[in-house]
Amino acid sequence: MFHIHTNNKEPKMKSNQRTLIGMENVGRDYLSGPSRFAALSSVSIEICAGECVAVVGKSGSGKTTLINLLTGIDSPSTGTIYVAGHPVHSMSQNSLTAWRGRNVGVIFQFFQLLPTLTVAENVMLPMDFCATFERTQRRPRAMALLHQLGIADQADKLPADLSGGQQQRAAIARALANDPPILVADEPTGNLDSATADDVMSLLAALAREGKTVIIVTHERDFARFFTRTITLCDGVVTGDVATLRAQV
Amino acid sequence: MLRDVRLARGRLLLVVLALGVSVAAVLTMLSAYTVLVREVPRNYNGTNPASAQLEMDNPIDADLLAQIARQPNIAAVELAATTTARVEVAPGKWLPMRLFVVPDFKKLRINTLGREAGSWPPLPGTLLIERSALALSGSAVGQSLTVDFRRSGRHRVELSGVVHDPGLAPARQEQVLYGYATPQTLAQFGEQVPLDLLKIVVASGTTDTDAIERTARALSLWLQNRGVQVHEVRIPPPMQHPHQSQMDTVLLMLFIFSLLVLLLGGVLTATTIGGLLSQQVRQIAIMKSIGASRPQLAVLYLGLVGALAGVAILIALPLGVVSGRALISTVAELLNLRIGSSALPWQLYAATIVLGFAVPLAAALAPILAATRITVQAAMQDRHVSRSTLRATWMHRWHNTAALRDPALTLALRNLLRRRTRFILTMLLLAGAGAIFLTSMNLRAAWEQNVTQAAGDRKFDLELQLEAALPADYLLGLIGSVAAVQRVEAWSITPAALAGDGGLSVSRRYPDGGHGSFALRAAPADTTLVARAMLAGRWLGRDENGAAVINSQALFTVFPGVKVGSTITLKIEQRPRTFKVVGIVRDVLAPGAVYVTPAAFAVATGAEGTVNAVRIALVDKAQVPPGVAAVTAVLAGAGIGVKATLTDKSIAAAQGAHIYILVWSLGSIAAAMAVVGLLGLVSSLGNSVLERTREFGVMRSLGASSGAVVRSVLYEGLLTGFASVLAALPAAALPSAVVGAMLASVSNQDLSLQLAPQAAVLWLAGVLAAVLTVSYFPAMRSARLTIKQTLDWEHA
Repeated sequence: MFHIHTNNKEPKMKSNQRTLIGMENVGRDYLSGPSRFAALSSVSIEICAGECVAVVGKSGSGKTTLINLLTGIDSPSTGTIYVAGHPVHSMSQNSLTAWRGRNVGVIFQFFQLLPTLTVAENVMLPMDFCATFERTQRRPRAMALLHQLGIADQADKLPADLSGGQQQRAAIARALANDPPILVADEPTGNLDSATADDVMSLLAALAREGKTVIIVTHERDFARFFTRTITLCDGVVTGDVATLRAQV
Repeated sequence: MLRDVRLARGRLLLVVLALGVSVAAVLTMLSAYTVLVREVPRNYNGTNPASAQLEMDNPIDADLLAQIARQPNIAAVELAATTTARVEVAPGKWLPMRLFVVPDFKKLRINTLGREAGSWPPLPGTLLIERSALALSGSAVGQSLTVDFRRSGRHRVELSGVVHDPGLAPARQEQVLYGYATPQTLAQFGEQVPLDLLKIVVASGTTDTDAIERTARALSLWLQNRGVQVHEVRIPPPMQHPHQSQMDTVLLMLFIFSLLVLLLGGVLTATTIGGLLSQQVRQIAIMKSIGASRPQLAVLYLGLVGALAGVAILIALPLGVVSGRALISTVAELLNLRIGSSALPWQLYAATIVLGFAVPLAAALAPILAATRITVQAAMQDRHVSRSTLRATWMHRWHNTAALRDPALTLALRNLLRRRTRFILTMLLLAGAGAIFLTSMNLRAAWEQNVTQAAGDRKFDLELQLEAALPADYLLGLIGSVAAVQRVEAWSITPAALAGDGGLSVSRRYPDGGHGSFALRAAPADTTLVARAMLAGRWLGRDENGAAVINSQALFTVFPGVKVGSTITLKIEQRPRTFKVVGIVRDVLAPGAVYVTPAAFAVATGAEGTVNAVRIALVDKAQVPPGVAAVTAVLAGAGIGVKATLTDKSIAAAQGAHIYILVWSLGSIAAAMAVVGLLGLVSSLGNSVLERTREFGVMRSLGASSGAVVRSVLYEGLLTGFASVLAALPAAALPSAVVGAMLASVSNQDLSLQLAPQAAVLWLAGVLAAVLTVSYFPAMRSARLTIKQTLDWEHA
């Protein structure tokens, strides 16, 4: 039985916790026809290593923009973003690509597995691109990750042959391939049934307990039990940032 | 639909361009075929070519000529003569000249000439020259040439005008100058040339060789009864330009290839429309879900293809007319024609327009029907890939074991397999161009192999044909004393004809004296100046009488079906001579010849102990011109007239010119196909980049550098290009064999298929360079996309 406890206080970082991600006064504007649209305004957040953070909010509230900025997929219009000491806001695209490949595992809502590669090949791909492991170690590592996620028997199939849940597990395995300290997931359960969604969220929460910093965009508040902290966005502004007592799931 | 067209405008523009090039290629070939098939006969038949030429032992008087004109089936009759001379075209460089003797230029009615420039008729004491020979002569109207006449030696003779004689092949191809003079002018220079050639035009059966021969035989008999002996009747293929069959073959072949280009253009249309449809699967599903029927959707997309074809045709019509005129002009120059009108009939434009619409519509029908057949449910679930797409492919199995090192290469390879049909069609587009290019190069290699073989078989550097026969010992001693000469052999020559019924010989010789002729030659039994490569039988024995060796050209053109052991009867010096064929010798690209021993030659010609032609090997093979000059200077010093000087270079130039038009034309078609193929590749890569946009974003999010994205696109282009070259190599074998056989037939040569490895390397390098160029832009475009743009694109 899960036990969930929440409080509404502003989160206080433990003195021994290290700040991994720092966003200071970050804004992001987009051109929308002749006018400008502020997707994010003056957002300042600090996230410590080992946290499992939910970013929640309605559609169009700026959740995806926030994690795109954290991962360097998008650049801020104003403000600074430091991740593990790296100035993500000012790095070049090529530097960001190399940095991201080693430090951030990205999990997409639509899995985004490459359809022409087998599941194992998809998992090996970040290792191939970043050369983080010896060539001979890549396949065994991919198999180990797939085994850990319970889909080792699907390793040599194409993504199209897997169920949605299996594809998302494969995507998580791929995100873990380079053993990055940070995992970012954008609506990872958006395309899954509730039972499978619970499984996936449990997996991510377990990874956080093992030391990964996990940031998950979701609009489903039922998952609060999996998180140590919930950041709420509304119209591009942080309207809530609360610590939650995570159930032992 | 208009929005979709705007979004895909780049790819659709490529389709329009490819179709435009294809339709223009068809129109080019159709217009060239139409105009040349009309203009070649108009040029040649416009000269009122002689149906037959009767060579008589003596000229006839005007009264007899008038009686002949009244003979049955004689429409026209004239007297003429031909003789030969040499012309100094550059200091020390001589070319043979064939001189046509015309009694009265103003009354010329058979084999008429077109006036080009200068005087008409020629001023007394001057020559006219054929227009194609003017450049070769190195002279101009009003200037004088040094002419070495057969009997009277060298004289400075003024060129007073230029004429066009469409019945002659261009002088450059034959390496012979053509001149025209009156008997009075020649007499002025001491050359007495009897008008011993009777030219006739038959009244009926002008295109029937047998009918012409019957008339000529009857006339010969009639003349014989009046004391005039006819030695030979020359009946060239009636109403046919000397190069008519070559031209017909080449144009037909080019037309077939141009249709192939259009077919490839249609395939490209199908590929691009297929790519467009695959991206619109969901839109099609949405339209179907709101009530659109399959025929409605099919008509919508077929309308798009029709519109593209319409724009392409608008571009192609002027382009095809202009390029068609360029091709016509080139062929006209190569065949020495004057194009009276390049006007094209409206039916030709109509046929082009029908083809321009029909081919792309037919090609696009299958992908359009397939795309509009898909159910709404299937369309919504479409992922462009399924296990079955890849499972069965050997490449996929191979890849799993080969473990390619670069993931960008893996992704490129898998993407090609994902869209196998498109990959195969694009690859085939390029392979088709490669196959035609390789065919043209293989043909060139085959021809050059013949030229090389001919040069290898010729161990002599120079052949001199003399104005008069001289004692063998004297002549061989004189030439052998020249320091530049290594070896000299006597190779006397005399014209020969096949003896026909009643002792009358009938040949297929054209008035130019080259096409359709053959000769009897005295060949030393122990010669070291020819390779004596026997195709059958043996070479001549010393002092062997009654034995003959025929060369491969004579076998093709004069003695088809003759074998070792057969008996042949030739008309030599007006007398029939019978020989037993003891061998057939390879004599590549040489004129037709029958070889007999010097002793047999002496018996046949009555020229015992004399020689009228020699073959010479020089000490220094790299210094032929000085060697030729040294020998001819010695002969000139001894007062010996030289009728013709044949060197390796002049023989090779005459041989090579005949293949030029074919290789050039095939190269042009290959270029058109390459353009269509590369446009296909650009279109295919453009489709692929669009489809893979999301994939590039995912790659970048996983740590792939811009270089990896660029490499992935470049690999896709390079793999397609490389596969096309691999496919082109075997694909070139069939057209090489077919076109080679056609060329062998029209050139009367044994043209064995040759592969040109350097052409394959050249094509590979060209294709890969072109592929890298056309792949670079989509590759860089994809590398410039940010991850956010790529992911947003997917969700748009």
